[in-house]
Amino acid sequence: MEHWLEWARGPAFIFSFSFMILGLARHLGLTLWEIYRTWQRAGDKTLPLSQIWWSTIQWLVPVGRIRLNPLFSFTSILFHIAILIVPLFLAGHVVLWFRGTGLSWPVIPNAFADVLTIVAVITAVVLVVQRLSAKSTRVLSRPQDYVLPLIIAVPFVSGFLVMHPAYNPFSYSTVMFAHVMSANLIMVLIPLTKLTHAALLPGVQLVAELGWHWPPDAGNRLALTLGKDKERI
Amino acid sequence: MNGKNRYSYYVEDTALLADNRPEKFLEAFAAVLEHSNYALPLDTYSRLSTKCSRCAASCQLHQSTGEDRDIPCHRSELLLRIYRRYFTLAGILQARLGRGFVLTDDYLDEMAESFYRCTACRRCKSTCPMGIDHGLITHLSRWLLAEINVIPKALLVAVREQLDGVGNTSAIPVPALRDTCEFLEEELEELYHAKVKYPIDVEGAEFVFFPAVSDFLLEADTLMGNAAVMQVTGGSWTIGTGNFDGINYGLFYSDRMMERIVQNVVSEVHRLRAKKVLVGECGHATRSAWFLPTFCGPAAPPVVNCMQYTWSQLEAGKIPLRDEKIPECVTYHDPCNIARTGRITEEPREILRTICKDFVEMTPNRTQNYCCGGGGGTVSIDEIRAFRTGPLGKRKADQIRDTGARYLVAPCANCKKQLREVCQDNGLNDVQVVGLHDLLLKVIDFNKGV
Repeated sequence: MEHWLEWARGPAFIFSFSFMILGLARHLGLTLWEIYRTWQRAGDKTLPLSQIWWSTIQWLVPVGRIRLNPLFSFTSILFHIAILIVPLFLAGHVVLWFRGTGLSWPVIPNAFADVLTIVAVITAVVLVVQRLSAKSTRVLSRPQDYVLPLIIAVPFVSGFLVMHPAYNPFSYSTVMFAHVMSANLIMVLIPLTKLTHAALLPGVQLVAELGWHWPPDAGNRLALTLGKDKERI
Repeated sequence: MNGKNRYSYYVEDTALLADNRPEKFLEAFAAVLEHSNYALPLDTYSRLSTKCSRCAASCQLHQSTGEDRDIPCHRSELLLRIYRRYFTLAGILQARLGRGFVLTDDYLDEMAESFYRCTACRRCKSTCPMGIDHGLITHLSRWLLAEINVIPKALLVAVREQLDGVGNTSAIPVPALRDTCEFLEEELEELYHAKVKYPIDVEGAEFVFFPAVSDFLLEADTLMGNAAVMQVTGGSWTIGTGNFDGINYGLFYSDRMMERIVQNVVSEVHRLRAKKVLVGECGHATRSAWFLPTFCGPAAPPVVNCMQYTWSQLEAGKIPLRDEKIPECVTYHDPCNIARTGRITEEPREILRTICKDFVEMTPNRTQNYCCGGGGGTVSIDEIRAFRTGPLGKRKADQIRDTGARYLVAPCANCKKQLREVCQDNGLNDVQVVGLHDLLLKVIDFNKGV
């Protein structure tokens, strides 16, 4: 098991982490390029920048949006806070980064991390339950919409057990292996699924505005392509 | 199948006789992606959609029907699925492996029905965490459907008349326009003892006036109010006989038509050597005119909505008013096309607060308003009236009822027609739907200098 754990923490982690970073960079690069190209082609290049900026901020920090749909929003916001803070600021994780790269940053107390971990697990399950309970979300949902929150919960459950051996019915290395490998899996899934929004969310309001900025003469060129330029209306 | 009942709206026979529709649809889709700017939003939306269904709660249609097909995200997925399957690498590879869906005639029929149940009011846009603009998807889908001739006949016939016929959507010939303007001048003299002129084809004016042309047939009071404001403020304006129609149904079904209609507006302004476009009380005409720089470049004439002009003049004290205000309870409906992005919400309210004793707001309002139920051109489709004033208009009817208002001000030709029908069909018989300039006209003091 120790060998497997070493493999998970070593090559598998490096692969998954690089896959995530490169995958997101690709998404980001392509989207930025496409944003530039769209803007270049647009007949009207003026953009309501302050409006775009404020709607972007409102959705990145969506506290003001809770009232629109209190129950679902509350779960979702707690979930996001927990899953962002714990992996990035857990003392145990920061130590690993320091050992590997020499980089270090402030950490959160372990007790607080415990609370957030429990919040992450509970909200992940509640998200799935809420998705199942409302007809409109049930109709829209694809398998990934149910599976992703549950997969995301796995490293939090296993991480909690690792931190609290008294509650852990399995061996340390088995749970640690599950912890690292599930985190690796999530990192691979991020650029391949809707989790891509981790990188693209800051640009979506700009994209939505640019969608209405068309090139001039597109209609005529389309008519020529389709052989409709001589057609009557 | 009969063209009259394949869809809930009438289409021309060409929409039904065509063969290979899926193939033609995909050709049109490819051409749109190549020549226009829709690839960016489609690509982003198809990757990011999280299927949270927040949009369902914000949609007035889904609130009424509860039907799955009326969830905005569900509707948009109809198009995004095609985009993913036929225009992304992953979709093409999946298809090679024998998986993925195939575009069929039935699927296109489902789209044709679904995208005309949406009024493209864009209310759901503000509730989507991923910023997905379902109104844009409806807009694009309708264009693609139009390229395989699936267009509601009411819209098609109007655009044909505008671009290939008499020159405007109501088929009003120029002599009839002149007669109408003379009649309105006489009415103003008779009712208000005011000498007001409708300048026609005056070169070098500041504004060329583009109302919804149907106003000349249906909204005499609005047009009299418009002219009265220009008269008392000494505004330099004209109506052009080359083009006097602000209506642009291209916005509702085809960018290709929209561009041609917009270009005709600019041509008329240039012909008359005027400086600006003055749009009458019409939401979609105003929004279409805001696309002038898109189609005609940054040097295109600036666009002013008549309410913006009127408020600037009223604020400057240039419109003399009687001492008595409108005594009845008045409420205001925000037309989606001018209010959704917050572009015109305050000017009409300032005017109404100035001239009315008892102005009450609907809730919600401004950028969060509910559509009248006839948006996206659906108001012109008479055969779906029961749907428009029923499931689509129910929320609006409730809102109006809650205000207890006697006058419902709707500064938009399409909203006015729809709201009158909503009031008729929902037992709101005491509510009178009027334009903003209709009310203003009642309180202008033509005898008082400023």
